Amino acid sequence: MTDATTEATHSGGSAGAVPAEDPTAFGWLNTADHKRIGRLFIACSLLFALAGAVADLLVRFDLASSSDHTVLNADSFVQVFTFTRDALVFGMLIPLFLGIAIYVVPLQVGAPNVAFGRAAALSFWGWLVSAGVLVGAYIANGGPGGGFSDGVDLHLLALAGLVISLLTGAICVAVTTLTMRAPGMYMDRTPPFAWSALVTASMLVVSLGVVLGQIVILYIEHRYGPRFLGGNYGIWSRIDWMYRTPQLFIYVVPVLGVVAEIMLAAARRWVFEPLALYFTMGLVGLFGFGAWANFGITNEGTDIVDGLEGIVLVGLYAGALAGVSGLLALLGFTLWQSRNRPRPRSGAVSLTRPNTAVVAAFGAGTLIAVAALVGLIGAGVDWLQIAGRGTDGNAPLRFTTWVTGQQSLLIYGAGLLGALAALHWWAPKIWGRRLSELAGFASLLAIGGGALLAWLGPTLSGVFTEQPQFVYGAPLLTTRYASQVDDSGAEGLSALGAVGVVIVLVGVALVVLNLLVSVAMRKGAETEADPWDGLTPEWLLPSPPPLGPAAALPELTSGTPLLDAELNGNGLNGTGAAAERDAEEVPA
Amino acid sequence: MSDTTGTVEAPQPGRYSVPGPPPRPRSQLVGTGFAIAAGAMAVAGALGHYMARRHASGIDPGHDWLAGQSVPNPQLVYALITLLVSVVTAHWAVWASGRDERGHTWVGMALTLVMGLAFFNMVMFSLNRMELEIGSGEWATLAYAVTGLSLAILIVGMFYLGLMTLRSLGGSVGRDRSTPLGAAVFFWDFAVLAWAATWYVVYVVK
Repeated sequence: MTDATTEATHSGGSAGAVPAEDPTAFGWLNTADHKRIGRLFIACSLLFALAGAVADLLVRFDLASSSDHTVLNADSFVQVFTFTRDALVFGMLIPLFLGIAIYVVPLQVGAPNVAFGRAAALSFWGWLVSAGVLVGAYIANGGPGGGFSDGVDLHLLALAGLVISLLTGAICVAVTTLTMRAPGMYMDRTPPFAWSALVTASMLVVSLGVVLGQIVILYIEHRYGPRFLGGNYGIWSRIDWMYRTPQLFIYVVPVLGVVAEIMLAAARRWVFEPLALYFTMGLVGLFGFGAWANFGITNEGTDIVDGLEGIVLVGLYAGALAGVSGLLALLGFTLWQSRNRPRPRSGAVSLTRPNTAVVAAFGAGTLIAVAALVGLIGAGVDWLQIAGRGTDGNAPLRFTTWVTGQQSLLIYGAGLLGALAALHWWAPKIWGRRLSELAGFASLLAIGGGALLAWLGPTLSGVFTEQPQFVYGAPLLTTRYASQVDDSGAEGLSALGAVGVVIVLVGVALVVLNLLVSVAMRKGAETEADPWDGLTPEWLLPSPPPLGPAAALPELTSGTPLLDAELNGNGLNGTGAAAERDAEEVPA
Repeated sequence: MSDTTGTVEAPQPGRYSVPGPPPRPRSQLVGTGFAIAAGAMAVAGALGHYMARRHASGIDPGHDWLAGQSVPNPQLVYALITLLVSVVTAHWAVWASGRDERGHTWVGMALTLVMGLAFFNMVMFSLNRMELEIGSGEWATLAYAVTGLSLAILIVGMFYLGLMTLRSLGGSVGRDRSTPLGAAVFFWDFAVLAWAATWYVVYVVK
């Protein structure tokens, strides 16, 4: 504990014993404690990251082959392709950040637990069971394009279970941020990560709700109806908007929250305009609403949306780009403002002493900006095609492997790097130990470098060879793919992407290994309450905080109490921005 | 440092100041609001899909794909009116609960639940009379899917109302303790609105 924070903290209050949760395995099964639920989400979603990357590797190896489907046959290609997206988005990206949010947000807002703790636990177990059923459905030859009809139905039911479970968890996080903040911590003083979690949770609620309605129709149609939507081959075109941009921007908003948390801690300074911080993150979430980009539906009434689709897409990417670049500019300016500021102590995180969390956060933020920019360019090109100008008969980019490149950039690049930053940053708070910096940097390089290759390969292939990403509704995928791959030489670019995924896979394996060694085998260094000199309220608590509800809660009126304490010496009143101004007004 | 699973260390003295949990105003109401948002988007997504398919169904959408089916409009209108009246009785219950009028609260909730059951009875009768066979055609399948989604939301609303009614029977009435009941009624309002939208799109516009 720093002197500043000691002085800053109000005295008094009871510090009695806290009731412990059941430490046995049964305790993990029936827990309603946000710390355990968060850890469960994090651990299981990392396993899905491995599974998704392996499946992606099979798909890319298949595309890289000069002969037809050497790794997968035509049917299994469709199934492994769709499973890759399911595993990486619903198995890894959303639940990983949901788990981090369930753990961290209550600590950040001064709540004793996540709202509706039992519902949060139900969210995890529902997600896990649904994910297991989903895998089972694929194994049983179900999934989009699957030959086993009941397996396809099971896949749709599992998908509905995943959506409902994740929606439940998202609602718990959103309600925690909105209604369980400590008295006096107004919304414009909320820590950045808690705000980003609120934005994502809110946008998940409105966007995943749409897909739930779609799944109901697809299930009834496939199980009972005349197959007027294309049966098992008509499923993917109606739900794949969940796995592509702009919807992917919603899933990575928490990454922006992580970036803001770490950069502001490195600057030891609050942004000059807090509302801009919240506004820019909200903008990314708002413009990431992907249900508008649902080509499967809009194609059924093409003349309704004639030309509108292109404008909407350009607008969505432009809005997301404005949000991301605005936020990064704001954080960059804050870092520049603090360039000459002396560090309070040697352990503090800063740009001059970068660690894994800082570099990974910097990389993740940059990759989101790149994804938004590239997306805007692609949407502009497609808009010209839709509007009938500049068309040369080429396939729109959104139907080519350009989309795979975007997915790689946001899921592998921004998502995994953001997760790496968050895990290294909050590991002391989650497990009470630091993760290995050596393994951290190695995984950072692998994930970052691999993601760039995984992006470049399919993106270039999409632009120059028009290699289709997925041939909607066509059972004879083999022929179509083979003609594209063999004739155009796209296999070389696909191989480049495959190499990228191999490197990403190594990086993810290193993260898992790092967690096993540092946390499970207890090789990581034990830490004090605030090892980084963080700004936000969770660093007031012991590392890790005790399980179960706290006997007493922190009195907070700001999202940056430790910065307030450092700057004005009287601690937990006033926003960081106000304290910053106060400090600057005092003559030297 | 404390163990992650076993012995729990007391919070550091001086780091905490306010004993007891902070006030948690309207968590259930806000959570219900989010659930309503998700449900609204699900219904909107399904109805949007229905409308898109209807638009693409033929030269005379709404007639071409009905394949001779006739919709018993009077019964479905009565069912909707029943639901609308149940909204009034539900709000009467919340109003009475806020004033600690237990008798009125329970009568209001009982009437709401009875009218909910009556609604289901009427809808089932209507669907049987239509002889709507699932899988018999595109409209029938879509109508089943969208109607089923709306009915599922109404069933969830009935359970929610019933649960909160039992809670109010246990003593949760009064100005400061009526929010959970208000949250359930809030969800019921949404469920009724979702059904009204479904009824209009599927059975009036067709």
